[in-house]
Order: sequence, then structure tokens, then C-alpha cells
Amino acid sequence: MLRLVYQGQTSVPVEVEGFVPQTIRAMSLAEIERFEVFHGNKKRPLADFFAVSGSAADERIEFEGQLAGVHWIGAGMSSGSIHVSGDAGRHLGSEMSGGEIHVAGTAGDWVGGEMKGGLIHVRGRAGHLIGSAYRGSRHGMTGGTILIGGEVGNEIGHTMRRGLLVVGGGCGDFVGLNMIAGTILVFGECGIRPAPGMRRGTIGLFGSPAPKLLPTFRAGSCDKPLVLQLLFRELRRLDFHFDDALVNANYRMYHGDMVTLGRGELLVPEGVVSG
Amino acid sequence: MTSSLFKIAGGTVYDPTNGVDGQVRDLWIADGRIVAAPTDPTVRPERTLDASGMVVMPGGIDMHCHIAGPKVNVARKMRPEEKRVAEKVMRTATTHSGTMGSVPSTFATGYKYAGMGYTTAFDAAIPPLAARHVHEEFDDTPCIDKGFYVLVGNNHYIMRAIQEQEPERLKAFLGWLLSAAKGYAPKIVNPGGVEVWKQHQGGNVHSLDSVVEHFDVTPRQIIRGIALAAEELKLPHRMHIHANNLGLPGNWTTTLETMKALEGHGGHLTHIQFHSYGGGDGDEDTFNSKARELAEYVNSHPNITIDVGQVMFGKTTSMTGDGPLGYYLSNVYKSKWFSSDTEMEAGCGIAPIEYKNKSLIHSLQWAIGLEWYLMVEDPWRVVMSTDHPNGGSFMAYPQIVRLLMDRTWRNDVLKTVNPLVLERSSLGDLDREYTLNEICIITRAGPAKILGLKHKGHLGVGADADITIYTPHDNKEVMFELPRYVIKAGQMIVELGEIRDPVRGKTLHVSPDYDHGVEADIADWFEKYYSIRFRNYPVTEDYMHEHETIACEE
Repeated sequence: MLRLVYQGQTSVPVEVEGFVPQTIRAMSLAEIERFEVFHGNKKRPLADFFAVSGSAADERIEFEGQLAGVHWIGAGMSSGSIHVSGDAGRHLGSEMSGGEIHVAGTAGDWVGGEMKGGLIHVRGRAGHLIGSAYRGSRHGMTGGTILIGGEVGNEIGHTMRRGLLVVGGGCGDFVGLNMIAGTILVFGECGIRPAPGMRRGTIGLFGSPAPKLLPTFRAGSCDKPLVLQLLFRELRRLDFHFDDALVNANYRMYHGDMVTLGRGELLVPEGVVSG
Repeated sequence: MTSSLFKIAGGTVYDPTNGVDGQVRDLWIADGRIVAAPTDPTVRPERTLDASGMVVMPGGIDMHCHIAGPKVNVARKMRPEEKRVAEKVMRTATTHSGTMGSVPSTFATGYKYAGMGYTTAFDAAIPPLAARHVHEEFDDTPCIDKGFYVLVGNNHYIMRAIQEQEPERLKAFLGWLLSAAKGYAPKIVNPGGVEVWKQHQGGNVHSLDSVVEHFDVTPRQIIRGIALAAEELKLPHRMHIHANNLGLPGNWTTTLETMKALEGHGGHLTHIQFHSYGGGDGDEDTFNSKARELAEYVNSHPNITIDVGQVMFGKTTSMTGDGPLGYYLSNVYKSKWFSSDTEMEAGCGIAPIEYKNKSLIHSLQWAIGLEWYLMVEDPWRVVMSTDHPNGGSFMAYPQIVRLLMDRTWRNDVLKTVNPLVLERSSLGDLDREYTLNEICIITRAGPAKILGLKHKGHLGVGADADITIYTPHDNKEVMFELPRYVIKAGQMIVELGEIRDPVRGKTLHVSPDYDHGVEADIADWFEKYYSIRFRNYPVTEDYMHEHETIACEE
């Protein structure tokens, strides 16, 4: 296990892009200390910001401290695991294709941006554009699982193509904007205009008060979808906590967004929806 | 003095302005300029660069490109899908990050021009109302000297002065406008046509004698009026003309009439390739090249110079002050479209486009561009351009160099395009191959001369020490895409494509003498019609970043 204790005292962003288990596993401690990270627009050795100990040979990295100003943690990782004991900055696990990232605190915007595979689990809240497409991209996340325990911001799952994105708290506006496929579950209150331009995929909006849906979604059947039972079982396996009452609830399915392909599914617990 | 001397020793020098054609010479530099070799043999330079075996040329000059201002910014923003997959320009200890694609970001534009051996570039279409914005973007475009042409061909004040037959007022206004914008030359884009487009849905002028409503003037009168004023103001670059009917089959007659309308006055017809089409009524079956007919006229009329506007195959973004053209292209490509109306001054159209080598139209455009390079007999009157990004990126210049210098490769590429090109153009019959000296003329010495930049485009004493040093290579594209060294104002700024010292570069502009009595009338006009106050319009010298005033003289 490689242990990095954050000692940076700077308001200038520190960017650790490329510092991922598959890249550093064969490096010596001295080489890791010399690994170049960006401090603003200056390249600096990793050791200027972190006390480094242990070994990266087992592909397990543990960050300690409050790293809200440290960005691109785990971006591009394909294997191994990263554990952050405090907060993490923006672009956590961006474009990762495998491995696991666990954050005990909060995370910034763009968690799992264009993620392809693997698992990100943030126990606290996170920012905007979780699992989303970067500006100009045709796809957001195309695989993997993102679990956020707390609240999140706007435009999560923007142009998402595949994968699972779960939010324990509430979410901001435009959840699932232009969603192509995949699954989003939000257990808390949802912001305005959910799923605009949704083509396919599944979004569960379980919070209260009920979401006000766009007029381009049509009400469909009401039942206990098997897919939700399977998803709830998977969330329990991943140590993600939610209200047990949801397991036995009935769900109204809404089809949309009819301004596009209209084959998406919005699932809302029956008796909660008002829109 | 001796301590600042920099010597480039033993290079094979190409300096056509001074009659040097591939001779081994030393160059001496001090204080950013070329100086005479010291007569005292004991004087030693502070630094010597061994250029033996290498090709030494003045820094490249792009006299027609679109790299700054609102239109460029809109094009950057309207194509995030292109930016996302384009090459990333990563920041370094000395350079900023940036984006590429067909419309690079400001810093990236400067780095890429310099990395390719170009040290000066002129934006070809700026509404003077946007001048302040352009000067700010220029300050963020490092490594190169810059300037811009001011759109005047559809300016209400100018058309009114022509209508009222007041050439002196026109001249004074043009002098004031160039000074106020800190621009370099007057630019005419589809004279009169943009105004008609702004007045009527789908409107345009269709010949040099079409009448522009309300102003009751014709494109011919606009061209003549501005040509005469530019000549009397002694502007270093008289007039930059984007003729009417760009891109339309059969437009070559309009182009020929435009050349004739100059009546011997100096004029530069830009992106001439787009104006050299035979055929008619938008029918592909009739579309053909008229480069030969037009080139014959250019060859016999020394008052005319041209740049080509070479089309290169691939995706790019069209941006033009020719509003109706932007609309036309967006309809052809069914693509995004941006259109703007700049108050009393100009219009603008932007649309993503793609040139395909299997398309007859696009293949002919490519061939017609090459015909122009090969048919204009005097290389001093033809300049390399892609009308970046309209015909392709400025990054394609090394590829064009190879097409011109290597007939075998040119013919190989010709075999890959639409085969009807062989029937509709003369490209297959042209055997000419450019020499290095001629390439040096059409990319440096020629544009400097046409722009009236006496201290650029050559390596004589007193010239700016803007120098590009290449490693010779049989493949001229390889040679020209990655210079060994690029020196700007005596400072080494690039080594093998890596930016070493990103100097800021300066803005080149003119400040012609004019009758200041006109300003009261302009002020009245401003207060009536403009969205900003007259006193806030001119860009003053204290607002400028690094800049140089180029003299207006014969």
C-alpha cells in the first residue's frame, strides 16, 4: 500500500493527473516523490505536497488529509484501488476504465466524467456533472458504477450512455440531460426539469416532494419493476444505504422524452408524484 | 554593442528581396534587427548559431487568415464537438494551454504559427466596432506580429459619401477609421452585397452594377471609390478585395470585372480560388475552372496581386464577413449557422463545412487553387494562403509547399480526387515545380512587399530579425512543418517545434494623414445611429499593447 499524507497549504489547484496505480506500481519511492504534478501552471514534484511512504506494488493508494483542492485523482485509472480519507477535488476518476475509488468525504464537480468502467464511491456529497460528457463529447459515462452518498449538483448523467449512477441525497437541475442509455437513481429531492432530451435508459426519482415532470413525459404502467429489485440488491452488496420501504413500493413509469426518441423510463414511487 | 551580437553562421540563405538565392552566408543580429557584419575582425558575437547545411529564410508571413475577433470567438464556441477530439495543447513552464481544431484558441494560434516558422499574420476581416476586442486577443496571441484589415465595403458612411459624390469625405473617413481602429488596410467583402443581405431576406448583389437600395450605389462604385481613397492616403497595403459572388458557379466574370474596375489602381484580390469558377445555375455538370483566363489577365496587369485561398480536404469552419455566403454554406451543408449584423459596418456568417476529395466541386476547388499558384508567372504577385480556416488550416501550408515543389506527388494526389477534375481544369497539364527561392517569395518576401512591410520578408540590413531555419529534406512537407529553429526579433523562440521563449509580438497598424475636419460630421452620424458614443469608439495609443505604426508613404 502506498500512503500519501497531504501537506499542501495552498489555494492554488494541485493536479495529479496520471498518478494512478497502473502507472506507478513499478516505481520506487524516490521516483514517486519526483512524480511531476501541476501546481497552478507550474510543474512540481509530488513530494512538495505529500509525505510519501509504503509501496505501490499492490496497486493500492491511500490519500490522507483534506484534498478538496487536489484534482484529477484517479483520472484514467484502469486497475487497483484509491482510498481518500477526506475530501477530493474535481474530476475524480475521470475517464477511468477499471479499479475502485473510495472517498470518505466529499468530491467536487465532474466525478466520473466520461467514465468507462470500475467503481467510484463517495460517502459525502459531490458537485455538478457527475458521470457526464465533457463539453463537445458525444457520450458521458459509458460504463461502471458511481455511488454518491450525499447530495449532488446539476446535470448529472449528461449524455450518459451506459453504467449506473446512484445518488443518496438530492440532485440539482437537469438530471439525465440528453441521456442516451444507462441507469440513474436519485433517492433525495430532485431539481427542476428532470431528464430533458432523454432518449433511452432508466431514471428512478425516489425523493420527496415529488418531481415535477416535463410535459413531454407520458404516464405508463404502475408495478414493482424487477429491475429495481435487482438494483437494490446490488446497492446493498456495495454497502450503499437507502430506505427499505422503497423495496416494496409500487412505481409509476413515465415514458419520454417525447421531444427526442422517447424510449426512456422515469420511475417514481406511486403516491408521491404530483406532476 | 558587441555584447548583444548574435551570429547565424554558414547557413544556406534564401533572401529573394536582396537577390540571395541559396548562397552560404552569415547573418548578424543586434537589438532585434539584421545588422551589417562587423568590419573589425576582433569583434566576436555573444552567441553563434551554426546553421551550416541548413536552409535560412525570413520568417513566414500569412497575409490572409482569420485568427481574432468576434467571428473567430463564435466559431470556437459553436464547435465543442470538434474541440473535444482535437489535439490538446498542453501547458508548459513557459506556455499556456490551448485547443486546436479548425479554429485554435489564441495562445495555441501563436504557438502553432511560430512552430511552423511563421512570424507575422494578418486577420483579414475585422468590423472596426470590434477593434478593441481584436487588440486584446492579439495580446494573447504570442510569438507573432499581427495586424488586421478593416471591413469597409458595406460601411454606411462610405456608401453615403459615394452616393453624394464626395470623394474627399470618403478619403478622410477612411483615414479616420483606420486610425481609430488601429487597423492596417481597408478590406472590401462582397461590396454592397452584405448591405442588401441585411435589407432583404436572402438578398445579395449579383453583378458589379447591381444597385444597393437606399444608398443607390453599385459594387463598382464602392471598389473605385475606396481604391482611389486608399491610393491618395498612400496606404502601404492599398485595398484587400473579397469580390462579389464568392463560391458561385460562373463567378469568374464578376472577378474579371472587379479586376477591370480597379482601372490600374493597386488592389489585392484575396482567396482568388473561390472566385474563379465557370458554369452556372448551381449545376454541377457545368462547374469548371476559369483560373487560366483570370491568370492571363493578372499576368498582364501588374497593379493586381492575389492570394490563393487553397482548399485542402477535410473538415473545417467557414467564417466570413460575407453574410449571404454564410447562409448559402449553412444551407449546402445543413449545418449550424451563425449570422450577425454589425450596426453600420458589416455582416458575418459562420458554418461548419467539409471538403471531400470525391466531390467534384471540392476537388475542382482544390485543383483551381493549385492552378493559380502554377499559372501566375510572377511569384511576387501570388501569395500562399488557405484563407484559414475557410479553405483549410494554416497548418496545411507545408503540404501545399510539397504540392508545388513535387510534381510527382501532386499528380499522385490528383489521381485520388474526383476524376472529372482532369476534364474541368488544366492541373494535369501543368508541369511547373516551385523552387525553394519561389516558395520563399510566395510565403515571405512577396507578402511583405504587397503589404508594404519594408522591414519584413527579407534578411537585409535593417530588417526585423525574424528568421526560420530548416533542415533540408527531400520531402518538402517534412522540411517545412518542423523548422529546426525559429527566431523572432533576434530571440530564439522555437527549437524543433518546442516553444522556448514565447515573446509577445507586436501589432502593426497604420496612421494615415487625413482631414480632421471630417470628425465633426462623423460624430454627428455616430450620435444618430451607433450604439456607442463617438468618443468611446477610437482605440487610442495608450490602450494598445506592443505595437508599431507602419508609415504611409510611396
